[in-house]
Amino acid sequence: MPQLPVRKEVVAHAELNIAIAGAGLMGRLLAWRLSTEGYRVSLFDAGSLDKPSGACHTAAGMISPLSELFHCPLPIYELGMHSLQHWPHWVAQLEQEVGVSVDYRQSGSVLVAHPQDRSELLQFQQELTSKLGGAGGDQLRWLDSRGLSALEPELDRFEQGLFLASEADVDNRKLLPALLQAVMQNGVRLHDHTAVECAPNEVHMARGSEAFDLVIDARGLGANGAIQGLRGVRGEVMVVETPEVKLQRPVRLLHPRYQLYVVPRANNQTVIGATEIESEDMSPISLRSSMELSSALYSIHPAFAEARVIETRVNCRPATMDNLPFVESESGLIRVNGLFRHGYLLAPALALQVEDALSKLTQETEQVT
Amino acid sequence: MTDKLKLYGKEFDSRLLVGTALYPSPAVMRESVSASGSQIITLSLRRQNPEQQQGKMIWDYIQESGCQLLPNTAGCKTPKEVIALAEMSREIFATDWLKLEVIGDDYNLQPDPYGLIEAARELVKRGFKVLPYCTDDLVVCRKLLDVGCEVLMPWGSPIGTGRGLMNKYNLQTLRERLPDTPLIIDAGIGAPSQAGEAMEMGFDAVLLNTAIAKAQNPVLMAQAFKLAIESGRAARNAGLMLKRQTASPSTPTLDMPFWQQTVTAGENA
Repeated sequence: MPQLPVRKEVVAHAELNIAIAGAGLMGRLLAWRLSTEGYRVSLFDAGSLDKPSGACHTAAGMISPLSELFHCPLPIYELGMHSLQHWPHWVAQLEQEVGVSVDYRQSGSVLVAHPQDRSELLQFQQELTSKLGGAGGDQLRWLDSRGLSALEPELDRFEQGLFLASEADVDNRKLLPALLQAVMQNGVRLHDHTAVECAPNEVHMARGSEAFDLVIDARGLGANGAIQGLRGVRGEVMVVETPEVKLQRPVRLLHPRYQLYVVPRANNQTVIGATEIESEDMSPISLRSSMELSSALYSIHPAFAEARVIETRVNCRPATMDNLPFVESESGLIRVNGLFRHGYLLAPALALQVEDALSKLTQETEQVT
Repeated sequence: MTDKLKLYGKEFDSRLLVGTALYPSPAVMRESVSASGSQIITLSLRRQNPEQQQGKMIWDYIQESGCQLLPNTAGCKTPKEVIALAEMSREIFATDWLKLEVIGDDYNLQPDPYGLIEAARELVKRGFKVLPYCTDDLVVCRKLLDVGCEVLMPWGSPIGTGRGLMNKYNLQTLRERLPDTPLIIDAGIGAPSQAGEAMEMGFDAVLLNTAIAKAQNPVLMAQAFKLAIESGRAARNAGLMLKRQTASPSTPTLDMPFWQQTVTAGENA
């Protein structure tokens, strides 16, 4: 069971100097939270801050604890439900600070399947009920074709589906710059194009080392050599544009071999993903994968045939061998990693765990001094 | 008792071969493999850009299980693709064992018998120990033996369907007509009872993946399959009784004279 810490009120920490390595979602979220709380924060990234190279930039920004539970262990769901409690007010605070919307949307998600794969819907329900008991069943609603059309008029070719009302999503391409702007407003020191290695109380760079009261390693796959058993799992995503199909919320297409999702975005754009291939292969999308993704999209609505492919994205997700995330702390160093395919689902809950570890370390330091 | 599975000159105690895909995590995969007691595990390379060795971490992790590796050619549709991938797997995993798959239909992943025979012929020439995933067609199976395969892996039903032994007549024919060939039921097995049935019918082993990997508790399901296969094999060796039309009490029923039983049985027959 993951530890779900309770937040304490924190006053000023102006004296504590913190380095965060990795300006992906986790690093940015922590930099924002900690700088808001008054810590002096430095944020390092091996690449550019405007165009993050990590999985967070590739992802579709879904916050869907129930859908992910289908093939994932229970802690993912529990951490996800915890995140889901915090996203709305964190987003509200962020949007207020930067004056830009990040398109956070909690309008649920819809699951459909081709007629020949319809047993997958039943299997989904069974697995949810078996993992969560009665509480699982309460969180999903069966839709017949009429119910589907009422909720998502574009899905009128499906006979049945499932509706998961509590799920959410956020436009990651808006959230990441917003977090960056907020940390700049908070006076965080930014070091882009600066690859670092993390050690307790110290960050090593090509140009030398710098001492800190605490180092937080949130480098994702960048921490590859430092964390044993961390591996990259390739994912491929496409973005298309068409004014013809108007979906209101993320749609998942259940299939015996693939886990496919379709996420509508602003400006008539739709994100479709994602493959999951056990390889640290960063080469461009394969023809097979692009065919799988586009035929899935086409089968959701034939009008997608005339959509324009405006982007294909490839990246590797940082995963541990049990595919679970972790927060590990020792004196002067906290490591958070292994968010795998669940970055936006897990980040707030893990940020809170890091903050909890941080306050424990601070208390220990105070007792020593 | 020495009841070993013999494949290409190697002996195995376990008659369950398992796949390594679709598990919730690599850790659960390895724990399930261990619970299944399997000594042969199959893995796929096709989509992982193997030339670049970028899947090395997960391959090493699978190799640490100590099992005989059976690289497969899942996802290949032509003999040419198969042969390139086979050569690459042999180099990466230092084994000439190969589960040969040539897919003829994308949706149900049905083997292409023509491509299969062509690819098998070339692979055997190149020194591979070929275990072809084939349909239950006797003539196709014979041709695969003719080109040098020593083991055959006919399907129970299409991959991932969990429908068990769909065409028992064909499978029974294969078993009877190819009594000395190791026959492994590959694909379509959904429940331990189906695996047990295959063993009772006299098949030498069972290969499966989805039924374990996608179970809600893969480790427990792996154990269930292990037990069912052991049980089915023991039953085959012990000699199954034949089915009878009428109930026959194991102890004599004193109040019913024997001629009456005979008459009843005769009337029913």
